[in-house]
Amino acid sequence: MVLEVAEEQAGSAYRGEQEHRQRWLLAILFVSLALAMLAALGVGAVSVPPRALVESVFGIRPLSEEQHVILFSIRLPRIIAAALVGSGLSVSGLLFQGLFRNPLADPYVIGSSGGALLGASLGVFLLPALSIAGFGTTALLAFAGAMGSIFLVYWLASVDGQTPVVALLLAGFAVSTMLSYSSYFLESFDQGFGQGMHVLSSWLHGTITEPTWPQLAIVSAMLAIGLAGSAPLARRLNTLALGEEYAMHLGVSVQQTRIAVIVVGSVLTAAAVALGGLISFAGLIIPHTMRMILGPDHVRLLPSTALAGALFLLVADTAARTIIAPSELPVGVLTAFIGGPFFLYLLRKARREVML
Amino acid sequence: MTTLLEFARVGYGYGNGNLFDDLDARILQSDCIALVGRNGVGKTTLLRLAAGTLVPDSGDVRLKNKALRSLKQREIAKSIAFVPQNVEMPFPFTVEQFVEQGRTPFLKMFGGLGAADRASVERALELTDTWSLRSRIFNQLSGGERQRVKIALGLAQQPQLLLLDEPMQQLDVGRQFEMMDLIVSLRSQGIAILAAMHDLSMIKGAFSSVWLLSPGEEMMQGSPDEVLRPEALESAFNCPPRHRPMLVERTRSRKELAQ
Repeated sequence: MVLEVAEEQAGSAYRGEQEHRQRWLLAILFVSLALAMLAALGVGAVSVPPRALVESVFGIRPLSEEQHVILFSIRLPRIIAAALVGSGLSVSGLLFQGLFRNPLADPYVIGSSGGALLGASLGVFLLPALSIAGFGTTALLAFAGAMGSIFLVYWLASVDGQTPVVALLLAGFAVSTMLSYSSYFLESFDQGFGQGMHVLSSWLHGTITEPTWPQLAIVSAMLAIGLAGSAPLARRLNTLALGEEYAMHLGVSVQQTRIAVIVVGSVLTAAAVALGGLISFAGLIIPHTMRMILGPDHVRLLPSTALAGALFLLVADTAARTIIAPSELPVGVLTAFIGGPFFLYLLRKARREVML
Repeated sequence: MTTLLEFARVGYGYGNGNLFDDLDARILQSDCIALVGRNGVGKTTLLRLAAGTLVPDSGDVRLKNKALRSLKQREIAKSIAFVPQNVEMPFPFTVEQFVEQGRTPFLKMFGGLGAADRASVERALELTDTWSLRSRIFNQLSGGERQRVKIALGLAQQPQLLLLDEPMQQLDVGRQFEMMDLIVSLRSQGIAILAAMHDLSMIKGAFSSVWLLSPGEEMMQGSPDEVLRPEALESAFNCPPRHRPMLVERTRSRKELAQ
């Protein structure tokens, strides 16, 4: 009897510890993100000393004209963009991994980024007349492209409701290559006198360009919709991990959930691609790292993944624009350097554990 | 004794001929039934029909007089739990997180597990003697532990009927006897059981009746003594007469062990 009571306490203590850990992680990520944003504001080709920043925040001494322009028209929008892109990619990675029941799924790997890119290119090259509401159209087309490509990959890769690693990677690779190069094809229809070409090139490199405030507003709204839509899906993804038939037996409407995940994941991918283009592997690294800390429960992973993704890409982008200053690296190059080996490590691990 | 689940003139096929034609059978509240038959005869299909994940081509499967096809899967899963043969987890869920999934039919659209759900999960872990495994990773469990944890997930659904697909698969002899003890103890908890079984020697003593499926024939139903007779098994399993003594011997040795 005494033993039983002790064990019961041990059980709730274990769960309590997990929740405790999640709260701490969230707090740490939140504070780090705020600090990273401040730090990123200060560094760049023209450095703004932290003291000047702090003084201006507290109204002691205003910034100089030049500093003001650099901070609010160039750096702040870019910092926010990096955070939004990172968050969108990481959370859509988490959702797709749950959907495909495969820790290697990532919006870049499975071709959803490629689809978004093709959609966005359609907007830039063929519909420049719509350029007033241009970004909205671009984002919408990116969304449609992302969704179309995932349905295609899903259909190509699934065998009896399973998506084997090899089939998923091959289908994703083929679709994503095809779609990315179709964007080059669209280039020849360019009516914007090289304008579109410049945009496409920065998308293909994965460069976060300085967005305008209305663009940021649109992407923020997409991210908010995506995150809100993910919340009720997270628990269903846990059940879906048991397999589609089992989830169906437990009362999860699998078909509905699958479509919802694809729609929400595509909104998030499209938001990220519209600002940053093809940024590889961010959607792979962050969910996996969070899973190592918090375990695989999607409900618990969702908020931490959103924050950690923002932090990761903000740091990566700040590094990308400062390490070879005054020149810049596309942040996609950095994430590929970090993410490529990471992906290969996961692939080897998957081969040992699950077999291909 | 009230009828829990009833197969009423159920027909089902996969295109190349019907597995079942006009299948009639019922499961009472206190039943513990072993479902036997050769490979591919439709044991798993019958379990799926009972769980409502397959819908019969003709006839009805009824849960307390209500056709399963008219019920939401969520509602069915609150009364009937199906424990499949194999579960592949792509992520390292702990045993506790795994068993919690059994509460899915009881949860609202938003919000997680409440106190009643937790209590039910804990009880399921206790009943299956997997309480000490709860913080282990499901994928790292041994075959025997995994089987028990899978049954714990089913019990977390607080079912009246538990459907087990080959619960003895890949268990060594010691774990097989543990599984039989578990089935007997669940039965004493008032949970009806329908289990697809391969090992006929384990059936007597633990199960109240046997359903024997043979291809192209009507399902044979009765007590273990009535059904597990050499003549019936010989044709159902297409087992040549000279192998029959082995079958009988194994049945006998299990009986002796029980005594």
